[in-house]
Amino acid sequence: MNTELTRMQQIGETLALHGREMVLALVILILGLLVARWIDRGLRSLLQRIMPKAGYTTATCNVLYILMVAGVVAIAAVEFGAKPVNILRLLTIIALIAVGLILFLRPLLPSMPFKVGNTVKAGTLLGKVEAITFINTRLRTFDGKTFFVPNSQILNDVVINYHFTQTRRVKIDVNIRYDQDLLKAKRVLEAVMTEDARVKTKPGPMVYVLNLAASAVELGGRCWVDNKNYWVARCDLLEKTKLRFDQEGIRFAFPQLDVHLNPGEAMEGQGTCSPVVSEKRAGGQAEPDETIA
Amino acid sequence: MKIAEGLKVIEKGWIRKPKGYRVRFHRQNETGFEQVYSPPMTDAMLNSDVTAWRYAWKLWQATCEETEEGSPGRLYNITVVDDEDRTIPYYGTGDVEIYNPKKIAGPLEGSV
Repeated sequence: MNTELTRMQQIGETLALHGREMVLALVILILGLLVARWIDRGLRSLLQRIMPKAGYTTATCNVLYILMVAGVVAIAAVEFGAKPVNILRLLTIIALIAVGLILFLRPLLPSMPFKVGNTVKAGTLLGKVEAITFINTRLRTFDGKTFFVPNSQILNDVVINYHFTQTRRVKIDVNIRYDQDLLKAKRVLEAVMTEDARVKTKPGPMVYVLNLAASAVELGGRCWVDNKNYWVARCDLLEKTKLRFDQEGIRFAFPQLDVHLNPGEAMEGQGTCSPVVSEKRAGGQAEPDETIA
Repeated sequence: MKIAEGLKVIEKGWIRKPKGYRVRFHRQNETGFEQVYSPPMTDAMLNSDVTAWRYAWKLWQATCEETEEGSPGRLYNITVVDDEDRTIPYYGTGDVEIYNPKKIAGPLEGSV
């Protein structure tokens, strides 16, 4: 009983002696943290408006916020009666420990194979990385949906980062009929790719004969463009290829089935014609007719 | 001749690759005509001729209905040019195309 009384008396004396400083320090702490939060939000929105594509905006704001919080805590502690030198020492020690831990643990921590702003394909999701936290990654797909994907799921899946390399190869595959001028088609397709401003000269565009298929000669155009131009360049090249082939009179192939009527067999039958079906290769040797009885 | 040298010759002489495209037209104002480029010479060029032709066609469509013949703001001779200010053939037909053509006599007021 006596002990508790003594303790209460001690608290009372302490409050009487340092109560004002304690209240003041608490007020400084609360107000300082609120102001720091307000500045942090303002700074983030300002930086995102000024530099919307800069990936280091979040990191810069985080560092500034930590510094502001540390400053507020230090001021509150000094107001409470702590010596500024001691506070400075304490903050220095904390900072050094934090930096040491980050440097030591960084190789052990799994890192994401992309940065904010990259276009990635994680699993079945294709989109732009908007934010990365310790728990999940915010991904915005090109149709406007926002996905919060757990980091563990991303780390366990195949990830394609389209920003890892500067350039990307465009495939323009077209099929032409067997009776068309193959060399002309190759020349036209190469010209379409070469004269496009976005197509790289090194490595230059190439056209290959990919396959001699059942109904078509398959041509493959290959060229390289900058990653950022990939999609539009591909669509434009396809459009220009179609139109240029039309202008040059080169006809595209399509699966076709020719039906021949054999008049001789029609005479022998009971007044009906027997259809003769063959898959004809345009300009090439037709397969022997296969009669369907 | 080494292959690398041969490739350089081909690169220079076979097919010219434009560095970009602009839409060029004549705009009528109060006193006459001015030659205008879009995007302007100070801005980066369009990197797609498909986009440039589409843009040119839309400019023509947007101005042919709204403004009367001979009134300020009307656009004439809308076409797509490359980085050397040469008219490029329209990729759809292979011919040089000029939307809303008009012979303009007299000096132009300068390029914008």
